[in-house]
Amino acid sequence: MALLQIAEPGQSTKPHEHKLAAGIDLGTTNSLIATVRSGVAETIANLEGQHLLPSIVHYAKDGTISVGHSAKLFQCSDARNTISSVKRLMGRGLADVKKIKEFSANQLTASGMGMPAVVTDNGIKNPVEVSSEILRTLANRAEQALGGDLTGVVITVPAYFDEAQRQATKDAAELAGLNVLRLLSEPTAAAVAYGLDTGKEGVHAIFDLGGGTFDISILRLEKGVFEVLATGGDSALGGDDFDRAIAGYLVEQTHITADDHQARQMAMLKAREIKEKLTDAEIIDVDFYHWKGQITRQLIEELISPIVDKALLACRRTLRDAGLKTADIQDVVMVGGSTRVPLVRQKVADFFGKPPLADIDPDKVVAIGAAIQANVLAGNKSDNEMLLLDVIPLSLGVETMGGLVEKIIPRNTPIPIARAQEFTTFKDGQTAMAIHVLQGERELVDDCRSLARFELRGIPPMVAGAARIKVTYQVDADGLLQVAAEETTTGVKANIQVKPSYGLTDEQITSMLKSSVESAKQDIQARMLREQQVEAARVIEAIKAALQENGQELLTADEIHAIESAIEQLEIIAQSTDIQAIEQAIKVVDNNTQEFANRRMDASIAKALVGHQVESLDDVVE
Amino acid sequence: MNYFELFGLEPNFFINEAELSSKLRALLNASHPDRFASSGSQQQMIAMQKTTQLNDAFAVLKHPVRRAQYLLELKTGIDATKEVTVKDPMFLMQQLELREQLETIIEQKNVSDLINFSDNIELMADSQRDELAQEFEQVEWNTQSIQTAIYKLQFLYKTLADIEAAEDKLLD
Repeated sequence: MALLQIAEPGQSTKPHEHKLAAGIDLGTTNSLIATVRSGVAETIANLEGQHLLPSIVHYAKDGTISVGHSAKLFQCSDARNTISSVKRLMGRGLADVKKIKEFSANQLTASGMGMPAVVTDNGIKNPVEVSSEILRTLANRAEQALGGDLTGVVITVPAYFDEAQRQATKDAAELAGLNVLRLLSEPTAAAVAYGLDTGKEGVHAIFDLGGGTFDISILRLEKGVFEVLATGGDSALGGDDFDRAIAGYLVEQTHITADDHQARQMAMLKAREIKEKLTDAEIIDVDFYHWKGQITRQLIEELISPIVDKALLACRRTLRDAGLKTADIQDVVMVGGSTRVPLVRQKVADFFGKPPLADIDPDKVVAIGAAIQANVLAGNKSDNEMLLLDVIPLSLGVETMGGLVEKIIPRNTPIPIARAQEFTTFKDGQTAMAIHVLQGERELVDDCRSLARFELRGIPPMVAGAARIKVTYQVDADGLLQVAAEETTTGVKANIQVKPSYGLTDEQITSMLKSSVESAKQDIQARMLREQQVEAARVIEAIKAALQENGQELLTADEIHAIESAIEQLEIIAQSTDIQAIEQAIKVVDNNTQEFANRRMDASIAKALVGHQVESLDDVVE
Repeated sequence: MNYFELFGLEPNFFINEAELSSKLRALLNASHPDRFASSGSQQQMIAMQKTTQLNDAFAVLKHPVRRAQYLLELKTGIDATKEVTVKDPMFLMQQLELREQLETIIEQKNVSDLINFSDNIELMADSQRDELAQEFEQVEWNTQSIQTAIYKLQFLYKTLADIEAAEDKLLD
């Protein structure tokens, strides 16, 4: 058992109070939540002792919503109102998901913003809402177990998730009332769990085959820095495809008709059972729908082999992107329940020329890594000063003449990153311009994912080709994109109308938030007030710590005085219930500390550079 | 602060890549938004901007063509990203030949030919990079020769990028 931490006598634990933070693995099939308690990262079980929460939500006619094991019970009896594998719908268009067979029992419809929604007896549910139910259930579980509110969470996403899918995940967290510290790539999370466990340095491959997604990441681990060198995969490839291949065989044997949804659902469940049994057994007896027979491991391996080969092809490409050969890879780490399948392990071992590692439970490893990162980000002091450097998984581009895509930021570029591109007008006197942002590797617009369409208005009328419109793409550390535009010859900032192709607008989220909170009979005002107060406390604490650290060194007495009085004001106003006044007071503090924050950044950069030079000198001496 | 200064380096075409990478890691350790996740949104914004700048500077300094273009502009104000006229018939001829070769290989869909071709271009790029380095070594820079050398190197890198794109297609 882990040792409990006790503060020194007389030393208040207040300033360094342990903040409650959690890592969430929001999976296609199952989800988990983990936290660091007394220095040990572990997943949190529900009251029945179950760690895995099936990612299933059931909407009953009377308005009852059940999540997880209780929802799973309705999967056959009330398939129409039971939503599973919702992760496959996140940030997707209706046309994309028409092909996905899981949703054959559910009735899909278009939601406001291109995303598909499921028609249930309890109303139309979009994927963001459904995911937020799962997140809320997990957060409640953690808050009960830890005895307090979570200050922040890290949510994992497949490395190969595009911007729309990441944004949808973050929206779901916001709807669930969670403060997202970071969206973290699943393979990176797994690497953190392994890296800190074994302290291994060098280049590692993470092979992550989940229920519905496949990721391969190549990471370099050096002195606590996890650097993603390249990442690749397929956001629609996973163990569910194994089940489907096996179910297809069962359907063939039993002649189930195409419109018998319940029988097909049963076939999927039976297929999973067969797959799991044949992980250990070589041959089993199967009894399904008047069909009795034997199924061997060899038979299912023949069925699923092409799916595994698809994953290995992505491995080959990702290695090439990283500029490495299989021999350069020190270890291959297996993540995701689907890597339990013997054929997967065997093929991965053959490809990399070494047996893969699977020491940590492949179902839990991602949540554990996320919990470790959440603990660091929440500001809980850790001996291991680790840093995760991630990349953008798919190239970002823009539509040009003739339906072609021009790449602005290539895949595997480290994030955060910004790139600017100049455009000009096509006609004399043109005052507006439509820009279409895309993500993907292909040349044609139709083969890439449409992320957003922007309209730049208010360009001063000039002759064709004279205007210089500079469009800047900024990708943040979560892999999310923001776009700014400016006409550079006149300095006019063009107005941008953002229309995400497959996502929700801020207004839609706010209105969903309102309706969900209202139904829970809570006060939206109370929640917004609480959020502002938390932000105020965060700002005050951070600035006080900063002043103590190097305020004397970087500021004049007058500057210190101005900052201190702004903080005092904020401290007083934060006690009130006036949301706008608190927001305003935070802004005042921000304005007063902008210069200080910049100087602090420059000082810490300068210090890092000096420290590095000393360190490399030490290397020479050694 | 220019990109070289940001990394505590003298403006120079020669660069030690391993040192550059390890400096980047040390700097990101101080600037990365993750270091400010529990601070206010203003500090997070500054952290993101600084880290973005470091990542961008690193990308420029690491890539020989972009580093050369940046160095030339920094020292002489010449924008080497603009088209230059190369008066070198031998090179222009070779350029055409290489493009034709690549197109033939792509049509034949032969992966091993493509890999051999890629290795070949990489060797050419290496020697072109050395040539460019020598131009920068001159006490008095001949900006015309530097621009030509940059252009030639850029062509070879562009060809390598096209090979990669072709390889992607073959693997699909």
